[in-house]
Amino acid sequence: MKKPEKLIVNGERLDGRAPDELRPLKIEAGILERADGSAYVELGANKVLAAVYGPREMHPRHRQQPDTAVLRCRYNMAPFSVDERKRPGPDRRSVEISKVTREALESVLFLELYPRSVIDVFIEVLQADAGTRTAGINAAAVALADAGVPMRDMVSSVAVGKIDDTIVLDLTKDEDQWGTTDMPIAMVPRKKLITLLQMDGHFTKEEFEQALDLAFKACEQIYGMQRQALREKYAIKQEE
Amino acid sequence: MLYIQNRELVVPGQLIAEGGYNVREGAYREGKQVYASVVGLADLRGQDIRIIPLQGRYIPKPGDVVIGVVVDSYYSGWILDMNSPYMGNLFVSDLLRRKVDLVREDISQYLGMGDVVVANVKDVDERMRVQLEAGEPGMGRVKGGKLVEVSPAKVPRVIGRKGSMLNTLQDVGECRLRVGQNGRIMIWGKNPRMINAVVEALLMIEREAHISGLTDRVHLMLEKIKSEGGE
Repeated sequence: MKKPEKLIVNGERLDGRAPDELRPLKIEAGILERADGSAYVELGANKVLAAVYGPREMHPRHRQQPDTAVLRCRYNMAPFSVDERKRPGPDRRSVEISKVTREALESVLFLELYPRSVIDVFIEVLQADAGTRTAGINAAAVALADAGVPMRDMVSSVAVGKIDDTIVLDLTKDEDQWGTTDMPIAMVPRKKLITLLQMDGHFTKEEFEQALDLAFKACEQIYGMQRQALREKYAIKQEE
Repeated sequence: MLYIQNRELVVPGQLIAEGGYNVREGAYREGKQVYASVVGLADLRGQDIRIIPLQGRYIPKPGDVVIGVVVDSYYSGWILDMNSPYMGNLFVSDLLRRKVDLVREDISQYLGMGDVVVANVKDVDERMRVQLEAGEPGMGRVKGGKLVEVSPAKVPRVIGRKGSMLNTLQDVGECRLRVGQNGRIMIWGKNPRMINAVVEALLMIEREAHISGLTDRVHLMLEKIKSEGGE
């Protein structure tokens, strides 16, 4: 795709969204049989699967922590998730995303309840269209709850950015590529604590505040859908 | 002040109550507020708030009866797999309830690798090292029978309210059951067909734990298999 003349025409983005509008979001909990907890998230063209195993015995043993559980995260992109085949395996980008994802989730978990054990989170990106780390965090939070891991709250995540000098929510790949700024944020919605904040590009102070405001509102919405996904899986059904 | 009904489904981070309640497992306190920490059903009894989890691994706690499998042995005891992130430790003296002279006695005559043991959780320390004991009557090495594994979170459904489900399984299924809190269940019975029927029933309980009217359905299913008779 060539760089379009304008990314916003008459207040409408390339895909017809308003600047403060999320892409269509779908969250499903508990879809993998073998994992202790799992979730599937679709955010626009992003398709992300998250699986949680544990708490389970930590191997290698020397990585056990005597007073707490350890959270391990792996963010991985499928070779077919992007236009040009991605070379499989961890690279610099996915190692970094794995780390920030772990840090975004760690603070809501009651890890101290399970000394010497490990909780594994695997995030597999099946199809990517910018914002996969935020979709991955949203999926991982639901998968952790689905696994029955005690948590203080969910973690909700969204990206904000700037295209054509306008602050917009949830950038697509084209917007990310041709826009000026991309800022993924993850937060604990109830207490409004930010657990992840990265930024590529720049914002003025006013723009940053505006962007943050937008992200807070969007996370609120995502939070609702995460809870809804869990409720749907566990609701007590009447006898058929 | 309570914000939810008894037996209501809650999700992590959901506000349950405000004020001086006793917070049990599945919930946590933050200042005056009490929030849920797991997906589960709220169990409100007087001043006690507890969330019955619908998912999750077995975490040993003192007093639980568990069914373990011997995976290793050492000089004075055995290590048992409890279907949990943690292994259980069983000393010979806690199995035989007497002093054992380890120099004279070979402890391998009492338990071997792969043996199934019904045990009681005696103690769990802050590092989650688990002490087991199996001296009480009906405990110790299991002889014969069939072992079934279900999710530990479904154990309360297998037992049922005041043991109703368990009674149905035992009476209609003509079997004797031993349920471990870790989701392992031993079945003993004379009729192999009924044993298999009870196994089916247990798997059905695990599958359909979230659909109401479970005990009646299990009863019906067992009665049906029983009436079909046969060998």
